[in-house]
Amino acid sequence: MGSTAKRWKRFTPLFLLMIPGLAYLIVNNYLPMFGMIIAFKDVNFSKGILGSDWIGFKNFEYLFKTADAYIITRNTILYNGAFIVINTIGAVSLAILLNEIRKKFFQRFYQSIVILPHLISMVIVSYLVYAMLSSETGLINKSILPLLGVDPIAWYSNKEYWPYILTIVNIWKGIGFLSVVYLASIISIDPEYYEAATIDGASKWHQIRSITFPLITPVITMMTLLAIGRIFHSDFGLFYQVPMDSGVLSETTNVIDTYVYRALMNLGDIGMSSAAGVYQSVVGFVLVILSNYAVRKFSKDNALF
Amino acid sequence: MKRKFSWISAILVMLLLLSACNANTSSNEGASPSTSGGASNSSGTALEPYELTMAYFTFGSVPKDQLLIEEALNKITIAKLNTTVKLLPISFGAWQNQINLMLTSNEKLDLMAIFGNTYANQVAKGQLTELDDLLANQGKGIVEALGAEYANAAKINGKTYAVPTIRDLAQKYGFYMPKTLVDKYNLNLSQVKTLDDLEPILKTIKEKEPKLIPLVNSVSSSPITSFNTRDSLGDDMGVLLNNGQDLKVVNWFETEEYATVLKKMREWYLAGYIAKDAVTVKESKSDIFKAGKGAGTLAAMKPGFDVQEARQSGTPIVSVEMLPPVAKTSTVTNVMWGIAKNSKNPERAMQFLNLMYTDKEIINLLDWGIEGKHYVKVSENVIDYPQGVTASDVGYSGLGWLFGNQFLSYIFKGDDEKLWEKMKEFNTIAIKSKALGFTFDSTSVKTEFAAVTNVMTQYRIALECGALDPDKSLPEFIKKLKDAGIDKIINEKQKQLDAWAATNGK
Repeated sequence: MGSTAKRWKRFTPLFLLMIPGLAYLIVNNYLPMFGMIIAFKDVNFSKGILGSDWIGFKNFEYLFKTADAYIITRNTILYNGAFIVINTIGAVSLAILLNEIRKKFFQRFYQSIVILPHLISMVIVSYLVYAMLSSETGLINKSILPLLGVDPIAWYSNKEYWPYILTIVNIWKGIGFLSVVYLASIISIDPEYYEAATIDGASKWHQIRSITFPLITPVITMMTLLAIGRIFHSDFGLFYQVPMDSGVLSETTNVIDTYVYRALMNLGDIGMSSAAGVYQSVVGFVLVILSNYAVRKFSKDNALF
Repeated sequence: MKRKFSWISAILVMLLLLSACNANTSSNEGASPSTSGGASNSSGTALEPYELTMAYFTFGSVPKDQLLIEEALNKITIAKLNTTVKLLPISFGAWQNQINLMLTSNEKLDLMAIFGNTYANQVAKGQLTELDDLLANQGKGIVEALGAEYANAAKINGKTYAVPTIRDLAQKYGFYMPKTLVDKYNLNLSQVKTLDDLEPILKTIKEKEPKLIPLVNSVSSSPITSFNTRDSLGDDMGVLLNNGQDLKVVNWFETEEYATVLKKMREWYLAGYIAKDAVTVKESKSDIFKAGKGAGTLAAMKPGFDVQEARQSGTPIVSVEMLPPVAKTSTVTNVMWGIAKNSKNPERAMQFLNLMYTDKEIINLLDWGIEGKHYVKVSENVIDYPQGVTASDVGYSGLGWLFGNQFLSYIFKGDDEKLWEKMKEFNTIAIKSKALGFTFDSTSVKTEFAAVTNVMTQYRIALECGALDPDKSLPEFIKKLKDAGIDKIINEKQKQLDAWAATNGK
């Protein structure tokens, strides 16, 4: 008995400290979840949300109605899947390279350079891309292609280039931030490991493969799992702003978020937009559980839960 | 390390304080006129004091003298109705979201501006108050000023939920160019009636001025967006041909007429009459003309158009009317006023709305600002900026077509003094679509509506700009529309239209 009271006394300040965070989480992340019912209702404001009629899965129909349903799902998964793989590989290599730079000044310098794009708004990025690709004034069409003797390309009306363009833009924008996350975990590795390895005569490559890599694997797994959870949510700015909302490109640039935006812009139906949100979140949730399960199979320590 | 941390926390605290300050000042600003108004209501009228909230959209930022206008307005409304009015301008880009939020969360809102394309939806969702009784009691002036035909144009299922503002209630379409080009190449626009007539002019421009875009289009639209001979019934999913002289709903994209126009646009695109990046253009027409990059464009026109356009693009223009004025539901219900379901006092809201259609003082205050400060009178009905004030630094200017009855507004110097008479005549002589007054309610087919909207954004502008080959893409477009369920929408529309026609004796 006495020990319980002691424990309470000891942990009460910690519980008190927890309250604001917990309250924030409940108010911001858990209470709104009840809003999910909107997706199954025909919302009528004069009746109120709770009083509106239940309509089952009718709000979800438009997501699966046309041939586009396949295209948007495919695009969303393939793009995000590719982004996860490429960004992770790129960011880890970049972090390792950054870590090898010995001069503090240069390390800081390169670090700032790679993280800079992360801070630029997508709308501005879209105009940077436009400055490159515009058919009337673009740098590539006006300066680079003529040098190579190639005819100008109408980038904004040819869909086949866009998988590459979007991937490049995404890497350019996202890799810096991710590599800083990895760099932080590399820096926290105890230098004694490397000293010991050097004494044993391990080469740089060996050190990276046998020390750095295994030690940051938990972070990689966590970041990847988090990304997988959002695989059905795509970066709206990237897919809407960067192609300049050009309809012709939709076969390779339309993803679930842009489809929903375009479909409901005039309709303004909150039931249908919630339906899209619920669909994305449920699929994301299932994917996280599955991939976490897979990770557990391989190594229990690396799993999120 | 410690030092660094304290620095960071100091900055954070500063930021917090700053944002708190901001929130404070803005709420204070919002509240002050109303409280002062509420305190000084000793005018002896029998009405209870009430504060109306009036939401409307603005383009660009909120004018810097907004609060002065509100104060001046409240002086009038307290005397007349024992009411204060809180003006709530919302920027155009955020309008839809914010108004939806206000309506959903039951915020205080009485009067609100309404766009034609969301009207039916807002009614279906029960967000608007029925106005018929209010109009008959408190809003007689509105019906009188609008005229019965136009006042009825906004009815849904026989009931009125919003009233159109009084402005140009019809549209005509035509072509215009900067005057310098017309003079330089001795072009004769007066004979241009069809797209074919336009071709030689575009050709001349392309040959003589290769740096100019002969036919400019605006953002997210095509050159022929502003050239139409049909009644779109609001959304182009099922239209009435020949300006709605016949009540048969057809699929516009399947018509011979559409195919012919697309073929023409493709020719023009390949010939370079339409910009190569027309599909992704991000500059407004007037910006393109201002920059001296455009030669001509098709546009929706109204009396006084030439002066207005010249003012915007900074160069005199010559225009020609190619299609006569037509009034359709969409041209009338474009901009309207309604009373939100949230309103605690719809009668008072209607009384104030009535003033916006009948009271010259209020209208001019909202349209032009305060006399002597934002404008001066040149003659009885004509105004100009005060000395030393220009269009770019005037403290207030409102959207004339938004605040009720524009015909009671002063005429700005440079405009035709008879502008409003001409506009009235324009509204009267306009061809009326037989479906004028019919508004389609898409809620029963909203799944299809969403899917079709997506297909349209995918193909339409690219086809109409000529960037896609219609021989190949038009059949594809039509097939996708059908897959998305456009026929179901057309059937539903025809059904609603027939029912409407039967009750209205058309």
